[in-house]
Order: sequence, then structure tokens, then C-alpha cells
Amino acid sequence: MKQVTFVLFLILAVCAGAYAQIVNRETYLKEFEKRVAFVTSVYDTMQATGYYQIAVRYAHNKEIAVADRMFKELLRDPRGDMFWMIPSIGAYLVGKDKMSAETKAIVRNAWKTYAPYRGDTENHWCMYYSALFLAAEQFPNLPGSEWYNGKSSDENRQEAKEYLIHWMKITTTIGQGEFDSPDYFPEYAMPMTLLSEFAKDPEMKTRGTMMVNFIFADFATEHLAGQYIGGYSRIYQPAVFKPLLSGASQFAYLYFGTGEPTNSGWIVLPALTSYRLPEIIYSIALDRSKTYIHKERKRVRNVIRFGSEKNPPVYKYSYVTKDYGIGSLQGGILQPIQQHTWGVRYLYGRPYTTIFGLHPYWSGYEVGMFFPEEVKTLIADVVASKGTYNNPDKWTGGSPFERTFQHKNTLIVLYDIKPGTTTEHIDGFFPRNLEERIVDPSGWILCKAGDTYVGWYPLQEYEWKEEFETPSNSLNDIGRPQLERVKETGNWRLRSYKLQNGYVIEVRSKDEIGSFDRFKSELRSHVPKATLTPGSVSVRYSTLGGDKMDFAFPEKRTLNGTPQDLSKTKLFDGPFLNAEVGSEKLTITYKTKKLILDFKAVKVIE
Amino acid sequence: MKSTFSLLFAGLLIVVSPAELFSQGSTVYASVLSTKLFVVGAANPETGLYHQQSSEDTVWHHMGARNIREFGVAVHTPSRGQLICLASGNGVHMTTDGGSTWKVTTGWQITEVLAVTIDVANPDFMLCGTPYGVFRTLDRGTTWVECNNGITQKFTSSVIIDHSNSSILYCSTEDGVYRSEDRGNTWKRTGFNVGGVRVVVQSPRDPNVLVAGTDDHGIYVTRNGGRYWEKCEAGLDHLTFFTITFDPVNPKILYAGGYMTGVYKSTDGGVSWMRKNVGLSNLNLHSIAVDPTTSNRVFAGTQWGGVFRSDDGGDTWRNVGLSGSQVWQITVQPF
Repeated sequence: MKQVTFVLFLILAVCAGAYAQIVNRETYLKEFEKRVAFVTSVYDTMQATGYYQIAVRYAHNKEIAVADRMFKELLRDPRGDMFWMIPSIGAYLVGKDKMSAETKAIVRNAWKTYAPYRGDTENHWCMYYSALFLAAEQFPNLPGSEWYNGKSSDENRQEAKEYLIHWMKITTTIGQGEFDSPDYFPEYAMPMTLLSEFAKDPEMKTRGTMMVNFIFADFATEHLAGQYIGGYSRIYQPAVFKPLLSGASQFAYLYFGTGEPTNSGWIVLPALTSYRLPEIIYSIALDRSKTYIHKERKRVRNVIRFGSEKNPPVYKYSYVTKDYGIGSLQGGILQPIQQHTWGVRYLYGRPYTTIFGLHPYWSGYEVGMFFPEEVKTLIADVVASKGTYNNPDKWTGGSPFERTFQHKNTLIVLYDIKPGTTTEHIDGFFPRNLEERIVDPSGWILCKAGDTYVGWYPLQEYEWKEEFETPSNSLNDIGRPQLERVKETGNWRLRSYKLQNGYVIEVRSKDEIGSFDRFKSELRSHVPKATLTPGSVSVRYSTLGGDKMDFAFPEKRTLNGTPQDLSKTKLFDGPFLNAEVGSEKLTITYKTKKLILDFKAVKVIE
Repeated sequence: MKSTFSLLFAGLLIVVSPAELFSQGSTVYASVLSTKLFVVGAANPETGLYHQQSSEDTVWHHMGARNIREFGVAVHTPSRGQLICLASGNGVHMTTDGGSTWKVTTGWQITEVLAVTIDVANPDFMLCGTPYGVFRTLDRGTTWVECNNGITQKFTSSVIIDHSNSSILYCSTEDGVYRSEDRGNTWKRTGFNVGGVRVVVQSPRDPNVLVAGTDDHGIYVTRNGGRYWEKCEAGLDHLTFFTITFDPVNPKILYAGGYMTGVYKSTDGGVSWMRKNVGLSNLNLHSIAVDPTTSNRVFAGTQWGGVFRSDDGGDTWRNVGLSGSQVWQITVQPF
């Protein structure tokens, strides 16, 4: 019976999700509670041992003895570093008043005996220190001998607080490092909601709430029915071509009421807290009545060698309509391994709701910029967990030989690839479920995805390859299950082997241009003029909208004769979010409403 | 308590002669960074600090935390291993009771520590090298301060406190070898400005003799405290070296290893080198150490191949455990 209800709910939710409407606060909260019930319901009877199963049992006051047993079982040999710290302290905080004294003692002992690795990246540190802060508050006044790291409760609490305040400061002054990651969004949302709910320190409680609001506001402006739009710091396959599989989409479902319902574990602990998204943020998330441009400045993850600047800027440009979004980063190596430099995402045709391209580059130099191990052996280290990194067919990654120039819904991407580079081709992803994929004599590839039309003009010769599925049970080269599929059945890969290369992308919706036929006929008279010789790669293009774009690789961007200076990009700049670089202050605006997150004053102003 | 500890070390230095100190065999410490199966957050195999209670031992015993991305280890010889520091992803771990209890002495600012060293004469003074530069403590880890004044590329993979004058320090960075003459308050780049220096070591006898290994540029030696460096070329067929070590008894003998190099040995102070790989089934090396009590006994730590040992000065090798491990550093202590 429970299964039937679940399926019915799923069908209804899928039908309703993508077309969610802005509702008043009361209705939103009622619907929110239904979604909470949905995402948590399966966990209170799930027999498999896990921290989410434990937390929900405590929260629902069901099978407390089972929860206790599971907790004890899991803490017999804790593993998982910060991925253990966050769910285990979350489950403890949810259930500490219900669990047995013995279970409590076992939890306490785990923080004495198990030494988690702190990690080497922003989401690791954010989870590690959020969990440590909460644990140190829960287990106060203990000497170092009672903690895994030999530090006292007070030392741990203070260190964790300092790091978290530091992270919030750089995020609100020069931007997040692991920014806009569809797959790593939960790694920030979960610890911040836990801080918001459980921190005893009033400052950290407020900061936690402000930071959840901050990352949700960022997401709300750049999503389309639960899909993150544009360029990202990190994304795994297959979420890169099945966007609604990402962790962020699960949060969009719960908090925006849009996208597809899922009940992955990451959403469970936030769902059990009393954190509720401010009305202004979900209103922004759900209002696509007007097309808008949204710009951001983010930052590169810590560059530890092969660079003079620790956190160079990332400039992000997104164009968002009710039917599609197209967004891009400026190009170059902005993040290791999993960068997604640009993409078009649209509503039509789940699960493959995207078209994008890349230079599938990898090198010891790239990973050596960000990781401290030996450059010569780093690729093998990386491939242990990111199995597609050195695969020439991969669908994620940035390249030093790639640059973009976007204006509204027109994007130019250029490549000047050094001969002998690990990969000497570029690829484009065209999903199998497009209604049309026409190679026009004008040179344009013309695609129809429902009411979204995408034109792709390759600047060099290319070929099509049909993708075949990688078996889901295959193992990578160290014998671990392949985490990421490289290929999916029936999709199309555009591949071009020319080193001086590029393409122009035009996107329009039916509302914007009237019909696919008109889109096709208009594009035929808009042919880019390119120069493609080594060291001199440029293109001149008049857009469908009548603008003149001149782009010379790598950084010379001119719009209607005016040079474009990306360095002037604000932290946030758009109709909904505004913040100056260095300000520590985000102003969220929706119609007549305003919410200011002032991290310097640790204050929320409505 | 701390001063008592220092006095104890000082007492050991004065009262116990080297012959007495080193008369009880040796202990081998191996710092295992990872196995090839390492993934952050996964149920990873045990890694970290291992030791053998004598170099005859066939069993490796684990000490301390088991999964903290441990790069380096510094063992304070006069305390006979009571004081040990670990350079790790989580910071600098320290024990003052031979490994029974540990404390992370650094805060959130110091991360991914690649190397740590302890002043032999004054163990309150320690240095660590990180991707974010050099950090120093003068109070045995109670406080660490950044000391990178003069260093342009901060990524630091090894640090040295001069054994004859602890005001003089060296570090290897991405743009050369730096020297400080004021305990790290200021640094100047030595005459060696080749990029990607992976390691620099000092002769146990002549403090002005240092040898550096690099990524892609081979091995260099200075005989005047870093003023001039000469490239060592005779006999070297490889260019990337992660580890170099002197024979503590005869500093004319050196061993070096790196990316797919196997072991190279020099018997003339680094002027010429020969390969010594018989029995060495993994040529990808990251650490070499010589037993100070039996200097023909040499240990080599590999990348994912565990530890190899030679009992004939490198002529032949055999695997002695920690198979599958990436052994970042080995040190053999004379106690």
C-alpha cells in the first residue's frame, strides 16, 4: 500500500513539479510539509543500516531501539571522514533526547577514537568544521584526551568557528570556490541547515541560516525547473547530461517545489530541521515570467602551484527564460577535473535536457595546480575516484585552450589547442531525444527541443558519433565500480579534430522567434566569419538579435565595437541578486520585497 | 612539563654518547600516504605511520591515526622516538610519549603539510612545509606562524634546519631552493633557481653540502651552502627525483630515486651515479633511508609498491611489506 501511495505521489509530483506556481506563504508551507513527509517517509521503515534511517526513526519517534542498534552498529567501525561526521552528528542531534544512554556514550566515544581526514577541498572543510563545531558544542568542557585530535572541546569549537567565519567571508567577498555545483550543492546545504537548526552559539546559528539563504538564493536565480543553469565548478557524469539527477535538483524539489521528487539521503537531515526557505527566495526560484540576464563573480579553488594568484576570478554569465537557460564561464582552467564551462538547458525532453561542448583535456599540470601530491603520479591518484578524468571521451572538464564570449542568448566558444596536448579534439553533446537535429547547408546544425531551438555553427569540419552505453556494472582501472558512465545509448557526439576551432551557439524559444522554421531561416543569413590559424583564432559574428560580437582568443571580447572588461563583474548582478565584490552583503530583491544578508554585521534586514 | 621534557633531551645529548645512544639497533618509520584505493570519504584501507621495532623486524606496526593523508614524519632522535611529528593533510600531529597519545598542533590555516622537521638540539623549534609555504613553531607546536618573507612561490615540499647552526634553514619550493639565516624571519633564494624542486637534503657531515632533486630537471649539488649549484649528470638517465639521502656514516655515498627511476647510488658525493635495481620490482620511488647503525642496509619506499630493503648497499633488493602502499617518507632511527 505504501508503495502504491508512493508511486501515485511520484506521478502527481512529476506532473506538478516542473510547472510549480508561486503560492502564498501558507500554501507553500503546507506543500512543503507534504514534500518533507515524502522525502523522509521511506527512511523510517528502511531496514538497511544508515544515518538517515536512524535520524528519521528518531524524528518520527518510531523504532527507537532499531535506531539505537543501527547507530551502535555503524559506530563499531566508523568510516567516511567528513562524510561520516555530518550525517552522524546530524542523526545524534535529531535523536539525542530519545536514544539510550548507552548509544549516547557510543556516539561520544566515536569522537574520541575515530580520526577523520579533514580533506583537501572546500566542501570537505565546510562539512568537517560544521560537524566539529556542533559536536564540540554537544560535548563541552572535555580535555584533549577525549577527542580524536587531542584538542579540547573549547579548542575544537573555536577552530571550527574561525574556519567557518573565514569561509563565509571569502564566499561573500570574492565568491564561492566550489560554486554552483549541481552535485556538491548538498555538501553545503546540509551542514548549513544543521548549523541553522542546532548551533547553540547565537552568532553561528544566525550565520548558518544566512548562509543557507545565500546558497539557495544563488541557486534560485540560476535554475530551470530544478536544473542548475550554465557553467559549474563541478559536476559528475551522468548528471551533466541528465541534469535532474543532480543533488541540487533534489533540494530544488524540496525547497522550491519544482523538478522531480527524489528521496536521496542528502535531503533527509535538512528536511528534518525547522529551516524554511524565505518567501522571497522561492518566489525568485519559481518566477520565470520575464527573461533576465544574471552575472556573477566566483573564484577558482586554491591554486597552490603553477600560478601567481591563489584564487583567480571566475566570471559567470547566464541568460534565463521560462523555456531555457544558457550560461557560461569565461573558459580556461577554473576548477580541476569536473568543470562544466557552458551549457544550454531546457524544459523539453527529460532526462537529456541539455546541449553543451568541451575540450576533454587532462594533464598533470592541471591537477598539480590544485593538489599537493607529485605531479607525475597525480593523474593515477585522481582516476581512483574520478574514473573518467583521463578518458578522451569524457563529458566534464575545463581546458586552458578554451574561451567563451556570451551576450544574451548567443555564445561564441573558441579553441586554440596546443599540438601534442593530451586530447586533440573537441566534442559536443546532442541528446538523442531532440525532435530535430538538422545539418543545414548553411553550416548551422539546427536543433528543436520542444519550444526551445538551438543553433550550433561549427567553425571547422567535424563528424558525428553515436554513443553506446557503458555497462553500469563495469569496473574502473583499479577495480572499483565505475562511478560515471562515459557514454549513454543513442546520444550524439559532435567531434572535431582541428586544433584551431570553435562554434557559435544561438538559442531562441518559440515565444522569442515564433517558430522553428523562422529560426532556421533567420540563422541561414547569420554566418560567422572566422580566422583559424595557430596563435590567431578569432570570429566576427552578427547575432540574431542584431548585436555585433568580435572575439579573439583568448581574451579579446568586443560587443558592438566596445571592448568588454570582465574584471568589472560584480559578485552578483541581476534583477534578483546584487552584491559588490568585497561587500559581505547580498541584497535579494523580488518585486517590492527585499532581503539583505549582511555578513559583516551578522544581520538579516527585511 | 615542557621544560622538563627539554631538559631530558638536553641531558640525553650531553650524558649519553652517540655510541651508547646508537647501540641498541634501529627502528624504521614509514609514512604511508595512501593506497591506490584511496578516495576521500570512502572506507579506505589503513594508512599513516608504521614502524618496525628493529630493521630486522618483518612486521609493520601502525601508530596514530589511520587515515589522515600522512606525507612526512620527523622523529626526534635524542628522545629515542618519544617525540614524533607527522606532516599530514590534517596538519602537524605530535606525540611526546612515543605514540601513545597524539595531538594536532596546527589549526585550520595549516593544511596539507608535506614535510616537517625538528631541531635536534632544541625540539621546541620545528618547521613545516606546505603548499601555502613554510610555518614555524618556537614552542613545540603550541603556536605556529607563517614565515614566508622573501619566498615568491610558496609551495614547499621539504624543509631543513641546519644541524650545525639552527638559525640557518633551507626549503625547496616551486622556484628553487631558499635559505634563511634568521630562523625563517626572512628568506633569500639560493643560486639554484630551477623550478619544481621536490627535495633538498643536507650532508650529515659538511653543512655546506646540499643536494636537491627536481621535477624534470635532475639532481643538483652545492658545496657552499647554496651559493653555487652544479648539475649532476654522469650516469643519470632520469630527470625527476623525489628523494635523496646521504649515508650517515659515509656522506660520499648518496642514494636517489623518483619517477620511474629505481634507485641511483653515488659513491663520490653526487658527481657520478649508477642504477641499483636488482630485485626492485617497483621503480617508482618516493623515499629512501639508510640505517645509521648498518649503513649497507637501505630502505626504499615506492608509490603503491610498499617498502623494499637492501642489505648490500643497494646491490640487491627485496620487498619487506606495506604492499600496495604509497610510502612518502621513510626514516631509520638509531635506537
